[in-house]
Amino acid sequence: MEFRDNKAIYLQIADYVCEHILLEKWKAEEKIPSVREMAVELEVNPNTIMRTYDLLQTKNIISNKRGIGFFVAEKAVDQVKDFRKTHFIADELPVLFRNIYLLNISFDELQRKYENFIKENFNA
Amino acid sequence: MIKVNNLHFGYGKNQPLFKNISFQLDAGHIYGLLGKNGAGKSSLLKNLAGLVYAQQGTLDVFGFDPAKRQPAMLEQICFIPEEFYLPAVKIDAYVKANAPFYKKFNHDYFTNLIQEFDIPVSQKLINMSYGQKKKVIIAFALATQAKLIIMDEPTNGLDIPSKAQFRKIMASALTDECCIIISTHQVRDLDNLIDSVIMLDENDIALQASVDEITEKLTFKKVKAVDDSIIYAEPSLSGYYAVMPNYHQEESKLDLELLFNAILTEKTKFKPYFN
Amino acid sequence: MSNLFNLNRFGLLVKRQWMDFGKIYLGTVIVLAGIIFAFYSYFTPSSTDHNIFDHEGNLDMRFRYGLFLILGFLFISITSSTYFTNLGQKSRVMHELMIPASTFEKFIVSIFYTVMVTVLGYLLVFYLIDLGFVKYLNANLNTFKSAETLKTPIKAVDCLFDQVISDKKYLKYCSAFFAFPFLITSIFLLGSIYFNRFHYIKTAVSVIIFTYAVGYLIYKTCDLLTRNMTQINIHFNEKNVLLWIFLVSATITVALWFITYIRLKEKEA
Repeated sequence: MEFRDNKAIYLQIADYVCEHILLEKWKAEEKIPSVREMAVELEVNPNTIMRTYDLLQTKNIISNKRGIGFFVAEKAVDQVKDFRKTHFIADELPVLFRNIYLLNISFDELQRKYENFIKENFNA
Repeated sequence: MIKVNNLHFGYGKNQPLFKNISFQLDAGHIYGLLGKNGAGKSSLLKNLAGLVYAQQGTLDVFGFDPAKRQPAMLEQICFIPEEFYLPAVKIDAYVKANAPFYKKFNHDYFTNLIQEFDIPVSQKLINMSYGQKKKVIIAFALATQAKLIIMDEPTNGLDIPSKAQFRKIMASALTDECCIIISTHQVRDLDNLIDSVIMLDENDIALQASVDEITEKLTFKKVKAVDDSIIYAEPSLSGYYAVMPNYHQEESKLDLELLFNAILTEKTKFKPYFN
Repeated sequence: MSNLFNLNRFGLLVKRQWMDFGKIYLGTVIVLAGIIFAFYSYFTPSSTDHNIFDHEGNLDMRFRYGLFLILGFLFISITSSTYFTNLGQKSRVMHELMIPASTFEKFIVSIFYTVMVTVLGYLLVFYLIDLGFVKYLNANLNTFKSAETLKTPIKAVDCLFDQVISDKKYLKYCSAFFAFPFLITSIFLLGSIYFNRFHYIKTAVSVIIFTYAVGYLIYKTCDLLTRNMTQINIHFNEKNVLLWIFLVSATITVALWFITYIRLKEKEA
């Protein structure tokens, strides 16, 4: 895994875990790598992984079964989407809005582009 | 686990290296010790291991005074120095002669580490390359399961794959019972491994804080222009790398090199954030 | 477990030090045996030589005394002066100091190697080679008889150490110098921890300067104190003098060991 420069490592690892859940590499109720395994794989301090897992637990994305390990929560996919949506609205949307405003892009134009994009990428 | 109080140390009376420094290290952490050349990183490590004697002040290393060099303390410390020597024997002979001094030495773990590091077992230690020798003593040190592991520039001399192996091994070696302290210039090799930072400058500890504490109080980011809110900035291709107070609870990634330069040039401006 | 001395740790340390010291030691012992053998081969009388008897009419083996003393000095001083050389090397000193054994144990092991192994090793090697040659000579005594015109039978040769032990006069003088080999090892052991490089030369030069200085001081003070006085003769009791030689050399040895221990304790990396 390549870490980017601008975001805290523990959040980047949270994204990494979420990505795995969304892509269904790790399915609901399945066991995920332990703190130590994850630390070794990503070459990161185990305390950092612990912080990531704590965060994901509070967001109900993973759960800790004492003595056994961490498991993907039942409704993890919804939780991940929820978590990401909040994050997107809070952090990424303002930047987008700023550009839309500065570049004077109309909502009509935006809507057309959006629909095109969906068609091309997701065949919806 | 380790308490240092009012440590004064220097080589000779008129060349003080540390004036009245105090700090504490706890188990379950990897500390990164940073400082310019000659700031005293190695000397501080040697003080902890009882290899040199403090002029004033007290050191408490899990209840022992390191200056007494008692076996019960020594078997709980492993020191990987920058310069070292290994004798003209094979690995098993070396282990046979040295491992019995460490009661908790784990032979299976040692064998695993040697395999993971790809070290030729049949070769005499003295004929190995610097990097290979270094990997042998790192493996030995970790296999002792010592409470305090001290490493002075551990990644020096390691090739690119070995550095990755080293990081993996260190990530797995940290337990709740042990404390690892690594002095380094090669910040990029270790920045995701270190969870606490100690910086030495001008006979004193310029900063001791956990990575979480640092990123809670400061934010590291690329900016287009420098303004008053920025404490320290370095020019880059597209603007500046900047350190500023974390006004908006941003969760940025600690840039150790930037922080190091920032602390050295703007020490007084950072003081209020970490006290 | 005691933090001062533990027999198990002591054993481990002896084994560990053998890895370093043993190699140098064994190499030196082989060279030593070669030299002794060479000297014996050259100087031991053979039936074809002339002038092979000493003034008492025995086979002349007097070269042994000088050989024993000079080689002995060289061997024990050289091996002792290598013992702490690791502590003078920047790359090794830290590891040596951090081996989990007490300073006292490390010190006792140094004494064990420089006293027991070095001195006793020398005596053993010398004794065995001497014994071999003596046995050989005694087995071939009659070849000498035919070669010489003397009528009297040739006396069997004694081993060097037998001579010293069985002869009361020898023993009396020799036992006064019993502590000397230990004094020598203690001087060179201290030198090996005191100096970081060129231990042997530096130790030897220091000893020479020190002895000269002390000798000069004693001479000068005696000269000052006894100026304008008449000489009287005091008869020293020979026995007392010999005892004093022993006591003084033994005391200096112990003192030097003590300094070595302190030095080891204070050694910094």
